[in-house]
Amino acid sequence: MKRQGLPLAAALTAALLSTPVPAAENGAPASLAPIPRFQEEAATAGIQHSYDGAWEFFVGGGVAVFDCNGDRFPDVFLAGGKSPAQLYVNASTTSGPLKFDRSGSGLSDKQSRNVLGAYPLDFDNDDILDLVLLRLGENLLLRGRGDCRFEVANRTLGFDGGRAWTTAFSATFEAGLAYPTLAFGNYVDRSAPGSPWGTCHDNALVRPVTTGTGAVSYPEAQRLSPGYCALSMLFTDWNRSGEASLRISNDRHYYRGGQEQLWAVPPGRPPRPYRKSDGWQHLKIWGMGIASIDLDVDGFPEFALTSMGDTKLQKLDDEADETVPIYRDIAFDLGVTAHRPYRGDDLKPSTGWHSEFQDVNNDGLWDLFIAKGNVEAMPDFAAYDPDNLLLGQWTGKFVEAGEGAGIALDRRGRGAGMADFNADGLLDLIVVNRSAPVSLFRNLGRGSADAPKPLGNWLAVEIRQPRQGNIKAVGAKISVKTGNRTVVKDVQVGAGHASGQMGFIHFGLGVAERANVRVRWPDGDWSHAYRVFANGHVIIERGAEKVKLWYPE
Amino acid sequence: MTQRSKVPVRLLILGSLLCTATFSAAASPELPPWSEKALRDDIDIDALAASKDDPIPVLRALGEHLFSAKFTTLDGAGRPDATGAIVPTKVRRPLPQSFQRLAGPDANACASCHNEPVDGGAGSFTANVFVSEQFESADFDTIDPQFSNERNTNALQGAGLIELLAREMTSDLRKQRKDLLEMARASGQPEKAALNTKGVSFGFLTAYPDGTLDVGALDGIDHDLTLRPFSQKGVFASLRQFTVNAMNDHHGIQAGERFGAVWTGSDDYDGDGYPDEMSPGQISALVAWQATLPAPGRKPDLPGIWQDAAREGEALFGEIGCAACHVPALPLDNLVFHDPGPFDTAGTLRQSDVAAPLALDLGTLDWVRALQRDAQGRVLVPLYGDLKRHTIADPVNDTFGNELLAQRFVARDVFITAELWGIASTAPYGHRGDLTTLSEAILAHGGEAAQSREAYAALLEKDRQSVVAFLRSLEIAP
Repeated sequence: MKRQGLPLAAALTAALLSTPVPAAENGAPASLAPIPRFQEEAATAGIQHSYDGAWEFFVGGGVAVFDCNGDRFPDVFLAGGKSPAQLYVNASTTSGPLKFDRSGSGLSDKQSRNVLGAYPLDFDNDDILDLVLLRLGENLLLRGRGDCRFEVANRTLGFDGGRAWTTAFSATFEAGLAYPTLAFGNYVDRSAPGSPWGTCHDNALVRPVTTGTGAVSYPEAQRLSPGYCALSMLFTDWNRSGEASLRISNDRHYYRGGQEQLWAVPPGRPPRPYRKSDGWQHLKIWGMGIASIDLDVDGFPEFALTSMGDTKLQKLDDEADETVPIYRDIAFDLGVTAHRPYRGDDLKPSTGWHSEFQDVNNDGLWDLFIAKGNVEAMPDFAAYDPDNLLLGQWTGKFVEAGEGAGIALDRRGRGAGMADFNADGLLDLIVVNRSAPVSLFRNLGRGSADAPKPLGNWLAVEIRQPRQGNIKAVGAKISVKTGNRTVVKDVQVGAGHASGQMGFIHFGLGVAERANVRVRWPDGDWSHAYRVFANGHVIIERGAEKVKLWYPE
Repeated sequence: MTQRSKVPVRLLILGSLLCTATFSAAASPELPPWSEKALRDDIDIDALAASKDDPIPVLRALGEHLFSAKFTTLDGAGRPDATGAIVPTKVRRPLPQSFQRLAGPDANACASCHNEPVDGGAGSFTANVFVSEQFESADFDTIDPQFSNERNTNALQGAGLIELLAREMTSDLRKQRKDLLEMARASGQPEKAALNTKGVSFGFLTAYPDGTLDVGALDGIDHDLTLRPFSQKGVFASLRQFTVNAMNDHHGIQAGERFGAVWTGSDDYDGDGYPDEMSPGQISALVAWQATLPAPGRKPDLPGIWQDAAREGEALFGEIGCAACHVPALPLDNLVFHDPGPFDTAGTLRQSDVAAPLALDLGTLDWVRALQRDAQGRVLVPLYGDLKRHTIADPVNDTFGNELLAQRFVARDVFITAELWGIASTAPYGHRGDLTTLSEAILAHGGEAAQSREAYAALLEKDRQSVVAFLRSLEIAP
């Protein structure tokens, strides 16, 4: 059965015939879409943090962006490598400069060190976000206690954090399970003979067990073997089946005979890797970060995979059966290879890490951010390697705008996150840099620090299932329709590089002042259409007749 | 491809006309005097706003020309690739006709429909338009009501004051929302409050300590508390938004501020070969002309018998409850009309898009000076309306429930209270313009107006005639 829907390549071809993308002065295409201005203000915001350490911390460097005190302003937890991880509570005023206050995380000094990444998740269904810490050594499940207090819950949950070098994470709520299934991606097994070459650690899948009291425990991990040095993973409903599979992006630098991976995770059964006989195509990259979005809204998400050299953008092959995971790389066609620095004279290949689709200019088109930075001092790769901001164009292509946006700093980016830290409707950006200060960019729209100015209209959506497990509705799909145009985004835990986010889901609406929002809840049920107005925060509770609004003032 | 050349506005020293420097619209110098282009002149609104000049005469002159101009294909009239939707939307197949009375473009000029009794006024049934969102049924070519709602042309006289009232009411309601949220945050308890501005109630809001808001009990206004006073449904926040929409819908002239390359990736979204068909300055001129149209008033020199009847009818109008929604006057604090306005969103020029908005002081206009003021010095705008939406049909009185399509989230039997000022000049009546007498229009009311309708029906014929006499005294000056 062939898949229906407008092939992206066909749409692209038609668009290219109609409107050429103009060229900038340096010959690169210029963006017709508005370029937002970002101002770096980590120091004035009160964030002093750097991700440091030896070889084990060449990778990692994540940030969790989430609300830990219930005020709906996103707070940040920053991995520190050999330095302590730090929690910063958002103290920004609405539409004002960014401001954060350092806060105790509840971790001991030992626990706060050797952290590579962090993902927020409500793993105990108490409606308070928890944190999963990826560490060199024992991974930690931090139970949120409210008011940005946390406690290590490994013992309570029967969770063995292991001793591996953990660099990737994802979670999903499997059918029939009230609590989330956790997947941990590990890197090199340093204790194995011959390490580091060809000694990638197995990955792990940990399913929840509901105790007699109705609480959750995580007593047993299943091995996902072989592991190929995972640097990003994501539970994704790639084939519109309603069942998430686990996609893993792996670093070819250390594996031997490895490849990118996709695991089927059927409920109640052992995970199973897709193989060539299943249609899975052998792909070897220095996989470092996954970003996923359904660009052409055909129900089958596209995947951006960062690497050393060119970024891939994978689309399920139009000619293939939809049950077969055969992907085509459309990165070159769409202009997102981002394979070398867009600034400076260095022609060496670039090194991509965290990646994320968001709409930073609120024009209704997805944009792609990629954190960039040399691993440490690899001479064959660009030393100055600024982060990318690839702005979506109406042609379907993307155009680099990192320099014009003001994010082209000389820092080695790793993890990152985009969120509206000051609730002004413009997504801000935080980037964790290796051996350099965290970059915190305030999105000023088309204005200045003194007078930020909006771009397009926008909508921030929070969805909730208050009377059941999975309150944050992980696995849901949010559909926003303006006029005849629909954009969709999945609520997921995972992907990026060691960095997770949970909170309002942001949509740009362009010139539309109204939108119809529908939610496909994790069990597959669709909501009715909620009628909402632009430029505000809305909260959709499952079963509610109308949205609730939220005002930050 | 012919393009309208955009010449920067010239600062002309017209010593013989005025003592101070003044702006004039910049014309395209290469056009011959017999040119069939209507869009010849433009105004740099940034420069005009920065100047000391009164923007009203500068803008009005061009606005008046544009309102009555018959746009031609040389201006970019027509939209072969686009629908008339408020959001840029491509047609699904080529339109067979360049003009089409249903999906549009359906008019040569604004004044083709807005012309009774003068330009800017209402229109007869023959000037009805067919309103469709033009998304799902973008290419409708039938009068089957499932595809469109038929609407009569509204008069625009006094629209500037209407928008100013709406802006003040929006600000007031939003302040009440802010105060309620602060109260809930401070008390730690849910707080409920009735919303009321200028004596008009808009239902209730409930705020919670976490900053969330229950808008389920709002009444007659959108959830974002933007009062949208224009169109029969009350779905346009500003004359500017309405104008940008109407230029595309009715004429196929696409304003750059919504259809330009920034928001669509193309400066010729409708594919007719003409880029950026209407500039911000030209839209401002149209807005200024509409905003400064004199408000309707009372018919002068009525014979004594009519004066007596109108006096009695006005009293009865209040007694039977009509004035509960058709409020005789609403007070207005500030007469400065800023363009762009404070509540427009992307797609309509915003105040954040310009260095400074134009400031049109309507208080300098003679007809505004002549309006009554209350004890606080506020201008009393005699609109006979409340700028609120109401359910206006029920199963017994279903005449006004004759539409099948909701519009922009507003249910099919809900309309904004029609302002009755000028009603004597705007026959026929009703949103479809299919009621030929005022009495028929009154008796067509249902829903929230059912009680008043019954009261009117119960009046003696003499008293009903008095109400009609009163209404027939409210006119747009010819």
